[in-house]
Amino acid sequence: MTALLTLNNVHVHFNTAAGLVRAVNGVSLDLGAGETLGLVGESGCGKSTLGKAIMRLVPVSTGEIRVEGTDIAQLQGSALTAMRRKVQMIFQDPYGSLNPRSTVGRSVAQPLVLAGWKPEAVAERVDTLLGWVGLPTDAKQRYPHEFSGGQRQRIGIARALALNPRLIVCDEPVSALDVSVRAQVINLLEDLKAEFGVSYLFISHDLSVVEHIADRVAVMYLGTIVEIGSRDRIWRQPQHPYTKALLAAAPIADPKLARTRTRTVLQGELPSPLEPPAGCPFHSRCPIAQARCKTERPVLRATGDSAQAACHFI
Amino acid sequence: MERFAFLGRFARNRGALAGTVIILLVAFAALSAPVFFPTDPLRMVAQPELWPGEDPAFPLGTDSLGRDMLAMLVHGARATLLIGLFASAVATLIGVSVGAAAGYFGGWIDETAMRAVELFQTIPNLIFVLTIVVILGSTLHNIVIAIGIVSWTPIARMTRAEFLALRDREFVQACRSMGMGDFGIIVREILPNALPPVIVLSSLVVAGAILFESAVSFLGLGDPNIASWGRLVGDGRELIRSSWYICAIPGVAIMVTVLCLNLIGDGLNDALNPKLRDR
Repeated sequence: MTALLTLNNVHVHFNTAAGLVRAVNGVSLDLGAGETLGLVGESGCGKSTLGKAIMRLVPVSTGEIRVEGTDIAQLQGSALTAMRRKVQMIFQDPYGSLNPRSTVGRSVAQPLVLAGWKPEAVAERVDTLLGWVGLPTDAKQRYPHEFSGGQRQRIGIARALALNPRLIVCDEPVSALDVSVRAQVINLLEDLKAEFGVSYLFISHDLSVVEHIADRVAVMYLGTIVEIGSRDRIWRQPQHPYTKALLAAAPIADPKLARTRTRTVLQGELPSPLEPPAGCPFHSRCPIAQARCKTERPVLRATGDSAQAACHFI
Repeated sequence: MERFAFLGRFARNRGALAGTVIILLVAFAALSAPVFFPTDPLRMVAQPELWPGEDPAFPLGTDSLGRDMLAMLVHGARATLLIGLFASAVATLIGVSVGAAAGYFGGWIDETAMRAVELFQTIPNLIFVLTIVVILGSTLHNIVIAIGIVSWTPIARMTRAEFLALRDREFVQACRSMGMGDFGIIVREILPNALPPVIVLSSLVVAGAILFESAVSFLGLGDPNIASWGRLVGDGRELIRSSWYICAIPGVAIMVTVLCLNLIGDGLNDALNPKLRDR
């Protein structure tokens, strides 16, 4: 499998009034064509920042972001614009991601117009796109506030699909939706993947959604990836103590099962990315931490044929 | 639909509706001035200091030189409204450009722009207008530009605040991720969302500009070829103890117009920012 997206030691640091924030602190991963990689972690761990770095919406401090082999981390101007067409994004907030003063047709047509399509071709394509995401073609003349959250997210998906991207970064695409609508949007994303072979980087803190849609899962903690592997492997045999705690915290629908499981409940809060702990970033909350963890930062090591984890004691 | 809802909200504010009607009458009078008073309003036509009502041919009387007050008032409406509108246009153009650049780009551009705004705000406005007019010369253009130069700062601040709030919204990020340029994002995406409060402010600047122009003309620094209302007040000030109507009539016209413009501004505010309207 050739990698569509390769991240190599990506850092995103922000200079703030309070000091240097290491939002993404050395992330490396691969994403194959037609694959869905779930990126999970608690709020503030840097998963959205990583998604925005791949979109080049935040500046990449150091590291490589390769899309089909081309490093886009520091590209500028027309070279960047050309690469942008291959990677698109679906945003979390369906109320904020559409310009309230643009008609739906104009919003969906925007990437096409920017790519220099002719007006007739644009109009035809917009009709096709709206059809794919299950919206009536008369939606074109209407404004975003006339649509429900789920419909707006479909509009956002239509816009992301406009230029046949190879990769779509989905930043919490269903977190803001009603549970009843979530399944529809998730199924739509899966159908589109089956039809067009597009890859997803699916950022979410909702483990049940990730379990459903992802082929592989990466677990992020404080700007670094602590475990990455196939979905089944991560769910059945989590290796890293943080992954175990995260999975244990997810609610289980069956109360009998829920009562029987043993849970490790994490103590404390996510440390501030302003002053990340020395050594292993997780040592301050880890149930199995030892002296070594405070000084030496673990690297990702293979824990099986399809998984890697960053812990000294695996 | 959108548009009718907007008009409905605007008309619900009675003051704004009345203000609009009166301003439209003033504008109509200004536009039709050449039809009803085809001769030069600054021509002497009757005996001086005829009081209003004294001679039915001159319902508002005549001034100290025997010029028809009504003709001068109607022709003056033209000059006064034009100055107000153009000065506001100049102020809005400068203010929106500076505010948009400051709010969107941030960093040193923002710092520089905001220090410039503060610099302009520290200078007393009327004195600043007079200084510019004296340096550039008393022509209509220069007065409009001078008023524009002192009136743009609140518009720049308002635009900057709107841009700061909008620039990191997800629809802007979406445009950026499609590769849209900064200029396109500013003009086509953010500006339409930032405009409503700016329009309200611009309508208030029209009223302020009329007052500035009146003050400049009253002090005798106005364009000598144009009979604006401020100049009529200024011309009448020597006779204020005997024939006070010469000052009072254009004075009332200025007051009513400015009041109506402010009412319109309030009405626009209610209609464009509906969430605040029932406070």
